[in-house]
Amino acid sequence: MNSGYSRAKGAFIVILIAMAIIAALCFVLSETPVKALSLFFIGPFSSLYSLGNMLASSTVLILGGLGVSIAMKGSSFNLGGEGQIYLGGFVAAVSGVALQDLGMLGTLIAIAAGSLASGAIAGFSGWCRMKWKTSEMISSFLLSSALVMVINYLITGPFLDPGSNLLTTQKVPQAMRLSKILPPSGLSTAILIAIASAAVIQAYLYRTKGGYSLRITGMSYRYAVYSGLNTRVYTWLPMFLSGTLYGMGGALSVFGTYYACVRDFQSGLGWNGFAVALIAGSNPVLVIPAALFFAWIQSGARIAMQGSDLTSQVASIAQAVIFFLITCEAFGRTRKKGGVSCK
Amino acid sequence: MQVILSALSTMAPLLLAALGGLFSALSGTLNIALEGMLTIGAFSSIAFASATGSLALGILIGMIITTALSALLGLFTIRFKANPFIAGLAANLLAGGVCTVTSGKIYATEGVVNFASLPKLASWHGLDLFLPIALAGTLICAFVIRRTSYGLHLRACGRNQEAISSLGLRADFYNLTSFLISGAFCSVAGAAIMFRLGAYVPNASSGKGWIALVIVYLGNMRPLGLLAAALVFALADSFSNFAQGFWNVPADFILAIPYVFTLAAMIIFSIFSRKRKSFM
Repeated sequence: MNSGYSRAKGAFIVILIAMAIIAALCFVLSETPVKALSLFFIGPFSSLYSLGNMLASSTVLILGGLGVSIAMKGSSFNLGGEGQIYLGGFVAAVSGVALQDLGMLGTLIAIAAGSLASGAIAGFSGWCRMKWKTSEMISSFLLSSALVMVINYLITGPFLDPGSNLLTTQKVPQAMRLSKILPPSGLSTAILIAIASAAVIQAYLYRTKGGYSLRITGMSYRYAVYSGLNTRVYTWLPMFLSGTLYGMGGALSVFGTYYACVRDFQSGLGWNGFAVALIAGSNPVLVIPAALFFAWIQSGARIAMQGSDLTSQVASIAQAVIFFLITCEAFGRTRKKGGVSCK
Repeated sequence: MQVILSALSTMAPLLLAALGGLFSALSGTLNIALEGMLTIGAFSSIAFASATGSLALGILIGMIITTALSALLGLFTIRFKANPFIAGLAANLLAGGVCTVTSGKIYATEGVVNFASLPKLASWHGLDLFLPIALAGTLICAFVIRRTSYGLHLRACGRNQEAISSLGLRADFYNLTSFLISGAFCSVAGAAIMFRLGAYVPNASSGKGWIALVIVYLGNMRPLGLLAAALVFALADSFSNFAQGFWNVPADFILAIPYVFTLAAMIIFSIFSRKRKSFM
């Protein structure tokens, strides 16, 4: 319990430092720092509309954070989140349009198809690691970068919706969309699915034999081999699950918020999922508050950008600072116990 | 012929960045922030070259800044025991953010910056100064790694840190200096990309830092091996650029080719790698 406490304390200190840095950046970068600051921190709570949008953006962060966490529990690094979110969204949007006669059943199939497509892509990186010891970290990154380009082509080429003036695929019909909470904001029942996924992942990791084996293999590969665990499976499975969760995040953004695969909607989300998992210490339940915190920073930056002269880059600097600080032992996190050990 | 010339000029930044990565790989703590250091090096070199009116001064100041930042990264990973992969990712993210904010603040744009007063880079058929720099760098690295006591200790540090400690040497020293060296090399690599473009283009490094990491392994962690691997990548890259003209391939596909090619090379290498030593 002691380590859990110090971990929470460490995360809290890091969050405070990140907020102090944001405040300092407001003063350096803005002509009207007080206005920028208040928009940044209070803006997301100033109306139900902003609040809804903030919660909507936390949906994909929860799933991304879960995706990174489960990979880390298996001592894998999935750096392909961006491409996997994009692919999940794209496959879901395209198959949603193709299955429009099926109604909500079609939605279900489309979301599953999007998730599994991304799971397969990430699982491929894990499989190469199992088979030939190819670094899943670099291969997932390269694969995702290539995917982003290819999907950009597909969206602006063969699957472009000619009726829209955005670069996007065709919208899925009304009957297939997830129902809204707090309209007209982007919040939908997708967030409930995300929260339920956190519970499922928590139960899988800590209440099932498979989850236990996955964690053991992640903690000590050699011990797992000697214990007779099927380490081959647990080398690719965390990557597969990670990709599936990322893909689900993309698919839910399509059916809950955008209703189509808009070009570059995934931009930055993969890395934010990483930040969320780090704040949460790869704990599936803690991913939810960490995602809410990150959604707050993100929406704050967006609102401050619209209402003052601040640029959206402030959020990315805060994100990098969180990355840096959160893994330092100085903040009460031990390398061996944390989910981030990888050697 | 044109393909080869353009490949040689594409090779210079790749090779320089990979040489930087080589030192950190040999020391046992891989620096995955090559991409971020390329970005910082590119921005600071071109900004200072334009401000001072001298290419050499710009490259030098860029090197100092990038090396200082990699010292900071080294401080986090070595002194504070941050996970080197995550700290490296943070450095990559930070680099992009800082360059964009700075360029927005100084040049009032977050996009392409055209420098009116940028000194002209001498070139011959598209080959510039950076190719000889990269080749000379390869030879110097080969010498340092194979023939000096620093190189020997650096390699020993990567194999077995305890052996280094038992000699009364500090493993931290080798880890840190390898980070500094990789910062300096990446800065020059970034300058090589930017000076050829003649303007600051955000994200112009476009994954070169990651490709350089793969080159380190494909070159079997030897400087001359790196040279061969970098040449193959550069040839593939310039060939795909020419292919665009012939076959009318969509531009997005051309952008994807370096990544796919790198991935394929990496997987093939790990299949045939006899040592089957884990890829980092």
